[in-house]
Amino acid sequence: MGEQYVLKVNGKEYALRTGGGQMLADVLRDELHLIGTKKGCCQGECGACTVILDGKAVNSCMIPVAKAVGADILTIEGLQTEDGLHPLQKAFIEEGAVQCGFCTPGMIMSAKALLDEEANPTSAQIQEALSGNICRCTGYVKIEKAVQKASEELRKEG
Amino acid sequence: MKRYISKNQKRSDALSKVTGEATYTHDIVVPGMLFAKVLRSPHAHARIRKLDVSKAAALPGVKAVATWENTPRKLFNSTGMMAFLYPGAKPAMDEYIFDQMVRHVGDEVAAVAATSEEIAAEAIRLIEVEYEPLPALLDPLDALEEDAILIHGDIQDNNIASGTHTIRQGDFEKGWAECDVTYEARVKLPIQKQAQLETHAAVAEYRNGELTVWSPTQSVHGTKYILAHIFDMSAGNIRVMNPPYVGGAFGVRVGFGGKAEGIVSCLSMLSGYPVKLVLTREEDFTVSDTRHSGYVDIKLGAKADGRFHAFGMNAYLNTGAYGTHGIEVAACLGNMATSTYRVPNIFFEGASIYTNIVPAGAFRGFGNPQAVFAVETAVDALAKKLDIDPVELRLKNRIRVNDEWPLSYPCSSTALDECIKQAAAKIGWSEKRGRAGQGRFRRGVGLGAGTHFCGYDELAHVSLELETDGSLSVFTGNSEIGTGHITSLQQITAESFGCEIEQVNIKYGDTRGTPYDVGCHSTRSVFAIGNAISMAAGELKEQVLQYAAGAMGCSAEALSIESGRVRGGPEEMDLGQLARDGHIHKTHFSAEGKSKEAVTVTPWEAHAAEVEVDTLTGMVKVLKVVAAHDVGVAINPQLVEGQIEGGVVIGIGYATREEMSINEKGEVYNSSYHTYMLPTFADTPEIEPVIVESYEPRGPYGAKGVGECGLVPTAAAIAAAVEDATGVRFLEIPLTPQRVLDGLQAACVTCQAEKEGGTIDVE
Ligand code: FES
Ligand code: FES
Repeated sequence: MGEQYVLKVNGKEYALRTGGGQMLADVLRDELHLIGTKKGCCQGECGACTVILDGKAVNSCMIPVAKAVGADILTIEGLQTEDGLHPLQKAFIEEGAVQCGFCTPGMIMSAKALLDEEANPTSAQIQEALSGNICRCTGYVKIEKAVQKASEELRKEG
Repeated sequence: MKRYISKNQKRSDALSKVTGEATYTHDIVVPGMLFAKVLRSPHAHARIRKLDVSKAAALPGVKAVATWENTPRKLFNSTGMMAFLYPGAKPAMDEYIFDQMVRHVGDEVAAVAATSEEIAAEAIRLIEVEYEPLPALLDPLDALEEDAILIHGDIQDNNIASGTHTIRQGDFEKGWAECDVTYEARVKLPIQKQAQLETHAAVAEYRNGELTVWSPTQSVHGTKYILAHIFDMSAGNIRVMNPPYVGGAFGVRVGFGGKAEGIVSCLSMLSGYPVKLVLTREEDFTVSDTRHSGYVDIKLGAKADGRFHAFGMNAYLNTGAYGTHGIEVAACLGNMATSTYRVPNIFFEGASIYTNIVPAGAFRGFGNPQAVFAVETAVDALAKKLDIDPVELRLKNRIRVNDEWPLSYPCSSTALDECIKQAAAKIGWSEKRGRAGQGRFRRGVGLGAGTHFCGYDELAHVSLELETDGSLSVFTGNSEIGTGHITSLQQITAESFGCEIEQVNIKYGDTRGTPYDVGCHSTRSVFAIGNAISMAAGELKEQVLQYAAGAMGCSAEALSIESGRVRGGPEEMDLGQLARDGHIHKTHFSAEGKSKEAVTVTPWEAHAAEVEVDTLTGMVKVLKVVAAHDVGVAINPQLVEGQIEGGVVIGIGYATREEMSINEKGEVYNSSYHTYMLPTFADTPEIEPVIVESYEPRGPYGAKGVGECGLVPTAAAIAAAVEDATGVRFLEIPLTPQRVLDGLQAACVTCQAEKEGGTIDVE
């Protein structure tokens, strides 16, 4: 048996045992069954596995789970609140920014990290922040619109 | 007034996709499941002399090892039914799941199923193989040489996969001699990769003589067919399903995807456990089908007044180690190349040719981007020779409705003229064309046009059933690969039947309980399934109204279904109430929809691009693409735009950066997103999709399709814009900085030598 450790994901604490050397993406998916975090490359090149770790968007396929212990981890499953969908989730639906959906959770998490930092991003800032997230379906156009729209909504909400 | 047609209905799957709830093949977990890994050939071409799996099999945790020695010796074609659709051709039945011969680097040698991925990977390393390396062919032209080695010598005596496609109209030779101006060139096309986000994967469970397979295939019935054929099973004992979502497809998942479905099925049968295989990104790049690379030779000639008079083309496509769609891609290339413009005298010959590289197969566009790149190169060249504006020349020669052309179906609608005009106007053609100026950074605009086909209407069957709560279930063997057409089909169903859209549930992506459908590809789903649904919904409505009329004692003519209720009679009736009432009176409301005759319709498109070329570095920056598409009536304009935008970015990639390079050993150099240079957010210019509506009399509510079209003329438009900027027409893509720089330098030298200026073709 490996060592016991605690992971804090979406505000909940999970006690787990490690086999050593696992990546955060695998623990989220295989142990916690949080399958919204996708794996498109396992090489840090596609962003499908993006989660927010202590406020920063990271590729969870590249983070050894030991490095995530003690951190606040937010995954796509933690985005909804009692009030319903997050404005980013709503905007992705409204603007038609979702096609196959495999990039969507990672894309939304990167966008959330951006909007948490910068409430009113320029087009260039959106492109920059999301340039590590690959989407082969949408051509990115509607994703950018969705992020703009969500940022407006969030600013309205204050 | 239509309630649901031409409306931006939100996708029915979007909610589960933005919450992370959506399930894909990667997410499938079956109790007791094992994990598979594959041993792949390091050689481009070799015979396996000795294969010793004993150490691997003895490793604790290993439950099965599959090789050519213990798996079916049944040749198959990995495309499912597609290879059987070309009239008269012998499909390329040239693959085993495992064979004693390996025909490309990455070809399957063995696979292991074990209790963990790590153990499976360890076992793979323990397999001992002795190869006898054989000479390898990498280029299709070499493979056509008389003394070329045979890649499938056991089944045929040449290297052409399933034959040659020929098109003739008029008399090409005579026509060519009669032309006042002519142009001929050879263009060279790269290997492009679908690079969908979810790598190929499959899970199989063989139990009680039944085989269940979860897969991201875009043709569940086709995949079922291949499995039944290979394992000699009754097709009814096989169930293939999507989970239900598919992480992108773009053609690469027609039939088998990277053979994953076949491999896990073998391993499940051998081990007695369910088995899951998820390919790595590197495997996905190096072993699953790509777009066909190759050479296209074009000859185009015109009369002095600009009328095209003769068209000749030879296409030599590289299909790699296996034939897959073989002749169909070559045929589509020829058909598309010869149906955009009126030309009285046509000759085309094309084939897919075996080599020892990663197999090529279906990729969005299916031969058409290659065709359009060649044709539009020639059209621009003739425009220059004739001194006619390229836009004018295209408008003059474009195909009109019911024109004579070499295809087996008529041109029943076209708004190509409007597409060309709008694309040109919106890019600023008259202000910008021919104004590159001098200096380091030069701008230019260019335009490309083309068509496509929405096919296999005859292979769409649906069944509809009125449920006891009044909702309507639609069963189709089609798949949702990300395009959103399932939502468009819901709109068509609700409109045709008269119910609320919330009352329509479309069940898809599962062979169990759905009638045969060939799959989600060929820009066909909205068109073909939409037609089948309209027909079935009309019939179902008739049944319901007749029954309601009987129940209320009024005439059916007076009745209609509105908002899910039967109205117009002495009382309003609820559909659920009718369905329940029907059941106790031996009336079951259900209907089948399928086309009565094979129908193919044609979408049209014109793209205009503006680029900036850095003449010092060779960097081509695409500034804007206007993509004008005749899609018939857009059932859901937002979804149509999404298809166009996504297509354009793949088209920009094809034009400027995407290329799988293969070294002399047959190894793929760029097998990751990063090395392959897939376009990212930061590489995406302004894209303006323009929906040019026409009305297609043979489509559902006037609709055609759009799926593949978004990338068809993009590369041609960009190459034309680069020519406008620099005076150099590139005959090979992608326009990487090195290639452009080389071309500009070569052209400069040539320019000076010839002192004439003008356009230089650069290979
Ligand atoms: S899966 Fe982590 S970046 Fe691709
Ligand atoms: S929606 Fe398919 S990869 Fe982005």
